Amino acid sequence: MTPTTRNTLLIACGLVLAAIYLFPLYWMYVTALKTSTAMFAAPPSFVPPNPQWDVFAGVWVERHMATYLKNSLIIASCSVLFIATLGSGCAYVLARYRSVWVDVGLFLVLMLQVLPASLMVTPIFVGFSQIGLLDYPRIAVIVAITAKAMPFFVVLVRATFMNVPAELEEAALVDGNSRFGAFFHIVLPLARNGILVSALLIFMQAFGEFVYSKSLIQDVELQPASVGLSTFMGPNSVDWNRIMAYASIYVTPILAAFVLLQRKIVSGLTSGALK
Amino acid sequence: MNRAKLMLCVSAAAISLGTAAPTLAQEPVTLNIWTVDKTGQPTPDLAREFDESEADIDVVYREVNFADLMSEAMRAYSVGRAPDVFAVDNPDTAMLAANGALLDLTDMIEQSDIINVDEYFEGPMASATWDGRIYGVPKATNTIALFYNKDMFEEAGIEEPPKTWDELIEDARVLNDPENDVYGVAFSAKASEEGTFQFLPFVQMAGGDYENINSEGGVEALSFFKTLIDEGLASPDTVSRTQWASTATFNAGNAAMAISGPWEINRMADEAEFDWGVTLLPTPSEGSPRSSAMGDYNWVIFSSTEHPEEAFKALEFFAEQDKDLFERFGQIPARNDIDIPPTGNEAKDEALQVFLEQMQYSQPRGPHPEWPKISKAIQTALQSALAGSKTPQQALDQAQAQIDKITGK
Amino acid sequence: MRKALSTLWDGRGFDLLLVGIPLVFLIAISGSALVYNVIMSFQEVDIFSLGTFFRPFVGLDNYIAVLTDPQAWPIFGNTLIFVLCSLGGQFLFGFFLALFFNMQFPGSTYLRGLFLVSWVMPGLVTGAIWNWLLAGDFGVINFFLESIGVIDDPIFWRSSPDFALWSVIITNIWFGTAFNMILLSVGLAAIPKDLYEAASLDGANAFRRFYTITLPMMRPTIGALLSLGLIFTLQQFDLFAAITDGGPNNSSNVAQYWAWQLSFREYDFARGATVSVLMITLVIIAAVFYVRSTRHEVRG
Repeated sequence: MTPTTRNTLLIACGLVLAAIYLFPLYWMYVTALKTSTAMFAAPPSFVPPNPQWDVFAGVWVERHMATYLKNSLIIASCSVLFIATLGSGCAYVLARYRSVWVDVGLFLVLMLQVLPASLMVTPIFVGFSQIGLLDYPRIAVIVAITAKAMPFFVVLVRATFMNVPAELEEAALVDGNSRFGAFFHIVLPLARNGILVSALLIFMQAFGEFVYSKSLIQDVELQPASVGLSTFMGPNSVDWNRIMAYASIYVTPILAAFVLLQRKIVSGLTSGALK
Repeated sequence: MNRAKLMLCVSAAAISLGTAAPTLAQEPVTLNIWTVDKTGQPTPDLAREFDESEADIDVVYREVNFADLMSEAMRAYSVGRAPDVFAVDNPDTAMLAANGALLDLTDMIEQSDIINVDEYFEGPMASATWDGRIYGVPKATNTIALFYNKDMFEEAGIEEPPKTWDELIEDARVLNDPENDVYGVAFSAKASEEGTFQFLPFVQMAGGDYENINSEGGVEALSFFKTLIDEGLASPDTVSRTQWASTATFNAGNAAMAISGPWEINRMADEAEFDWGVTLLPTPSEGSPRSSAMGDYNWVIFSSTEHPEEAFKALEFFAEQDKDLFERFGQIPARNDIDIPPTGNEAKDEALQVFLEQMQYSQPRGPHPEWPKISKAIQTALQSALAGSKTPQQALDQAQAQIDKITGK
Repeated sequence: MRKALSTLWDGRGFDLLLVGIPLVFLIAISGSALVYNVIMSFQEVDIFSLGTFFRPFVGLDNYIAVLTDPQAWPIFGNTLIFVLCSLGGQFLFGFFLALFFNMQFPGSTYLRGLFLVSWVMPGLVTGAIWNWLLAGDFGVINFFLESIGVIDDPIFWRSSPDFALWSVIITNIWFGTAFNMILLSVGLAAIPKDLYEAASLDGANAFRRFYTITLPMMRPTIGALLSLGLIFTLQQFDLFAAITDGGPNNSSNVAQYWAWQLSFREYDFARGATVSVLMITLVIIAAVFYVRSTRHEVRG
């Protein structure tokens, strides 16, 4: 088999796999364009018979999506910033030592994210209301999301730090750097890619989070797009085509940004920059 | 703010502290209102109009998802952040009232010129009453009846819609057409309040109720549902689909009949490409007593409110708008003194008349402070008979045991 | 004093600071919420007493009530099936894709990026879409299966007691594959190429190379991945809410969803908390597993 046929074959396989995997996404867009009765038609139509293109603009205006998306961006960005700042150091220390205490630390970190947000939200609501944090709903949600997603970040980034050769740090210490200096000037830059990717994965999660936001933020003007979506999805008076249109608007920018950026990220990550 | 202005403010504050409080221009009172209503449904508009009509009341409206309505409200209430005015799903009113979460409105209503208990339908008013005291004002009302596809009936040579359960099964057998993806009937037996909402009226028509759910009537009703599912006359998805989703299959021509409510009328008029009609829910046999579900919300005021008078004013304002409720929002006011004007669309107007007649037979769920648990027991029975291996009798016996434990019998 | 301060940027104090602040933060937020749940599981909780800790204690009553509930064991069984199958499926598909894209062909990184969409999608949206795909009468999946002749009659994925749990598992596998793939890709890329070259020279075939080089080198990644996956799977909530609602007849109900139903549908917060405490017990086992797996790691 020549390299060219091998490549053609692999590309073909890759495309087929991607087509299967991405079908749900395609279905989201198609459903958005259908009339609400066409959605329930059997057999299903793969190209909407009478595409309702104006659905996107309509949903954008009627559901005030600009405000919602702005709020989502604020909440997700702040949470990620918070998580990366707190979590990186924690992951570094947990990667640096091998001892019972590290085991205990890891254990605690994992234990703390056991329950689904839907079960954690009541105690968090009660606690936040007692310390007055509910009066600053945005901060409250950011704090809650930080606590929720940080363990995941720590475990991911810890694996990255494990790959930073200990000799490099030791050499820096011998050269007269303080621990502080060695961490910021040697270790952190080497782990940068891992941290960035983990932060990106966390960003996606924070962008989609809705259980905390729904309960902690009562002011519609401050709610993120996920809450807007879940309010849109009631049991009655629900138009799934318009919900899918909302979902499309919600995920497409992120999707586009991600597909554009990912090449850089994934190749940077996997080309051995980690070693 | 510059220094001079600041001084001015401070001295103004000092003066106002010194003088008697009543002469002050009053701070506007903030009223928080929570309901499930979205844009296009009553409260967002009405709340804004109330806000504009009352200079010294600021209204803050929050839309809450139906699934979260009670948990959000109770959580907020438990930490002292409950809204002032709230629209509670009618079967849940008793739970809030029995726990002291609601303001007793009896005296205020007695003195009110606008809200008059006699002008409301009995069923909705009963759902807002607990232990002889009135805790709520019905916001609107709805019920369920049987929609049918006139074209399909005509084609099959069936002259009129079914009047009894047996007729419904007969017609469904004739109309059922798996080849063309057409089911005889669409309804919802979902494991949520919607399932109870659709099932309980059938139990009541057969002479049972939640207190004696495993009586002969209850078993008869559940067997009727089970026949529809077992014979494939209704989609197996019936046990997991909402009423809205089930009726959508009717609108798309994939079911010949549908059990659903007046909230469907507008969508059906827009989307169904066939002639449709509505008829009263069939009864177990000719001449049996009728019953139907009673849906929609009650306006209530949380007992924690700091502004009971203003909150009650809001309730009065909403009650005043009942006369336009159908015209503006397509909802039926729970009032016997209001005539709903015709819309001009023949199918819609006919449907409305049927629903208004059906409404006379609607019965509240409960009222009981533990209604959510009772309802869960009923849903479990529904599911274990329709999707599980239990017979109707076994399923309802188990439900009865649970309900007896809850009601303390 | 000065020495104590300098240790903060040059010594043990530095480590303690870095690890201490986040831990204190986590314990303050998540830890106290966890404790709240544990306490509630021993109390009689009134729906209106959520705001206080002072509620009557009832000993083990809630545990007895939960464990003697006829629904309990089927639900715990479902939880086990759900966790094992989701975890296995996500991992296998993820590993397959990671290996496939590791073969480096033109456009491979670009294609791999496309697979990450399932991570980008909020659970709410994923659930809604799959709800449509899996629908019985008008669903596309049935349509495909029927047109290629695998089935004659539509499968009622969401409503049939035999398939409901599987419909959530399939969705969850789709959901989690991307995450597994990307982490495993990173792990694969970190294996030095010269190891494979040396093994090839020694005459080791592809299977042997995979078994003797890839798997051992991937051990830390796999350990971390499986334990994270376990936690994500146990946290999975949105998909149940969107697709089956735990039904029909509890056939797709799992512990975390049941806990929520008890709390927010029946307003029985004590029993809801009890179920969640029982779940934590399961996760303790997982955490031990993860911590043990890190023992084999070598740094650098």
